[in-house]
Amino acid sequence: MLFLAPVMAVLGAVAVFPIAYSLYISFFSMKLTRPNRTPFVGLKNYTDLLADEAFWGAVWRTVSFSLVSVTAIALIALLVSLLLNQEFRGRRILSTILLVPWAIPYVANALMWKWIYDSSYGALNGLLYQLDFIDKYMVWLGDQDKTLFLIANAFVWKEVPLATILLLVSLKSIPSDIYSAARVDGATVWQRFVHVTLPAMKPGFLLVMIYETMMAIRHFDLFFILTEGGPGSASHVLSWHIYVETFRNLSFGSGAAMSYVLAIATFALSYLFIRTLGRRI
Amino acid sequence: MMLKDKTRRLGRRDFLRYSAAGAGALMAPGLVRPAKAATAALTMHTWSAAVDTVQSHLSAFTKETGIPVNYGNSPWAQYREGMVAKFVGDAPLDVMWVSDAWLPEWAEAGWIAPVDEFDNLMQYNVEAEDFCTDSMTYGGRQYGLTYYTDYMAFFYDEAKLKEAGFDAPPSSWDELVEQSLVMKEKGIADYPMMLAMAQESWLIEFISTLVYSHGGRLVDDNGVAVMQDPKEGAVEALSWVVDAVNKHEIVSPACVETGELAGLKAFAAGNHAFAMVAKYRLRMLNDPEQSQIAGHVKQAMMPQGANGSHATVGWMRFHGMSAQAAQDKARAENAAKLIEWFGGKADGAYTFQKLLFLDIGAGFGVKPLFEDPEIRAAYDSYGDVDMIQAQQALARKKDTVTPWFGEWNDTNGSAWQSAILGNVDAAGAVAKSADLWNQLKDSY
Repeated sequence: MLFLAPVMAVLGAVAVFPIAYSLYISFFSMKLTRPNRTPFVGLKNYTDLLADEAFWGAVWRTVSFSLVSVTAIALIALLVSLLLNQEFRGRRILSTILLVPWAIPYVANALMWKWIYDSSYGALNGLLYQLDFIDKYMVWLGDQDKTLFLIANAFVWKEVPLATILLLVSLKSIPSDIYSAARVDGATVWQRFVHVTLPAMKPGFLLVMIYETMMAIRHFDLFFILTEGGPGSASHVLSWHIYVETFRNLSFGSGAAMSYVLAIATFALSYLFIRTLGRRI
Repeated sequence: MMLKDKTRRLGRRDFLRYSAAGAGALMAPGLVRPAKAATAALTMHTWSAAVDTVQSHLSAFTKETGIPVNYGNSPWAQYREGMVAKFVGDAPLDVMWVSDAWLPEWAEAGWIAPVDEFDNLMQYNVEAEDFCTDSMTYGGRQYGLTYYTDYMAFFYDEAKLKEAGFDAPPSSWDELVEQSLVMKEKGIADYPMMLAMAQESWLIEFISTLVYSHGGRLVDDNGVAVMQDPKEGAVEALSWVVDAVNKHEIVSPACVETGELAGLKAFAAGNHAFAMVAKYRLRMLNDPEQSQIAGHVKQAMMPQGANGSHATVGWMRFHGMSAQAAQDKARAENAAKLIEWFGGKADGAYTFQKLLFLDIGAGFGVKPLFEDPEIRAAYDSYGDVDMIQAQQALARKKDTVTPWFGEWNDTNGSAWQSAILGNVDAAGAVAKSADLWNQLKDSY
């Protein structure tokens, strides 16, 4: 126990205390710019959220972003992992190239996509214009109907490699004997995929769904760099809402309360995935 | 030899014992105090602009007064949050740069102190632009001396104007629409007017300019929102922007994602005929190495609305004194000397403001500098100094600068963007913004 004390002390200082303290301040009206007025408000910071239209708008946009992103990531990663599970010339090079988006830092990724989507000199406009798909440069991020999907696209591009690797590990763990037996039994390619491959990939899928959902719900960098929550409130998601409340408005009490709501929602979703997908593994 | 023997006998326990004793001795109050007493240095913190100029001016200050200064700086983007953390954490701080937007917030929190009791600082007010002094004043007290000031200016590309067949720039917003439509028809520019309406810190400056030039204001002298009143210019100004984007198509719909810098670059690349940007950008726009329309960019008075004027918005960055410095008389006097050295005269001249202008083109808030031959020559090399001075005289401080400005500003920006995107009409957007303003005002 004595040997564990230093580790416990460090963990207590850098993990337990900040978490406990943030929970503590979520019960206060703590605004840094009003240092002498920090009354205890109990659950008010939490109950106020129920009537906060901007908060619920942000929740809805976060759900939409997560749903689109995670679905796309899972599907694309499935297809790519099936491809990389095959033996073909150039497979190793393709596997290496696939890792590039994953290796790019989030902020660099966001800046890259900001250039790609730019309405004046963006690569997307340049490409579509040269291919005659558009007759004039389009406003991408400034179009409220497209913004969230375009940010989701940048997020998917970054996240697919990791999801692919996780699914590929599941694929590699399937014994070839099972496929041989299925072939002997007369199973078609589709039947082998549905009855052998997919069930064996469930642990990988579970991991991908939990991890990517958590990442999508909490994602901030792309929203910060690409749109700052705009145009209007088109990309004003929960993580952005918390950032504005905490670091721009310097309302640490309500910001902490929102962070706890986000954390609880993330845990609840993860639990839901484990309960629904995990029980069948 | 004896030393060698003693060293050999120094075991682990002895080492720990001596180390602890040494550390304890160092921590003893008697030994700590001299370190504090020896540092009579002032601490100054700024954002990371003109760092070399600041450092050389600080060296000159220390040489002149014998007062050492610890200088630190941090990026503008994180400056406000970083300074708030310093204030809350009671970090050593005497003099700092302050934006007019933060003054009420910092003054209400008791982090910065008024400087109007220092006669050596107040003597400069007679030579400062009125909006500068107004911008440094909160609750009837003045909190600093000017570091840099500027205002939102209206620029046009003279070559495009002539190509379109016009001899003079537009003097009203309606006239700007007329000229822009002709330019569109002649294929001179797809979107003749550049407006940067992205959600960033510049947005309130653009909004305020549009409202002021439409003869209105966002908030009255008592801090009550009047922006929702159709007679007060805000609804009219936003309606003009909405029409410019959606009806006349003279402003790009991408304006809601265009920040000031991106807009400036687009104007410099020759994509637009008119632009509203900070006045100090004129130097860059007429620099052939940075602009494709260099030599053609002229400044005109801000176009006016039907019931408006050529008024524009001005902003201030100033040297302020921390409350902790003000609590100690000797320290406060030294801090006031430092503020004067930067914001007032050093060696009998407005040296720092002149240096900043000549180095980076930053605007100044003291009128006598307009008569300085070097400054006039510099201005004349890329602009019309009389026009610059005339427009500066019509600059007004932002009327929305209050302790709750930061909380309101994001929502206001979103409301204007929503109207531009067609989600809500101009009156509805401004009403929403006014509602939040009044809610925040009541909560404070």
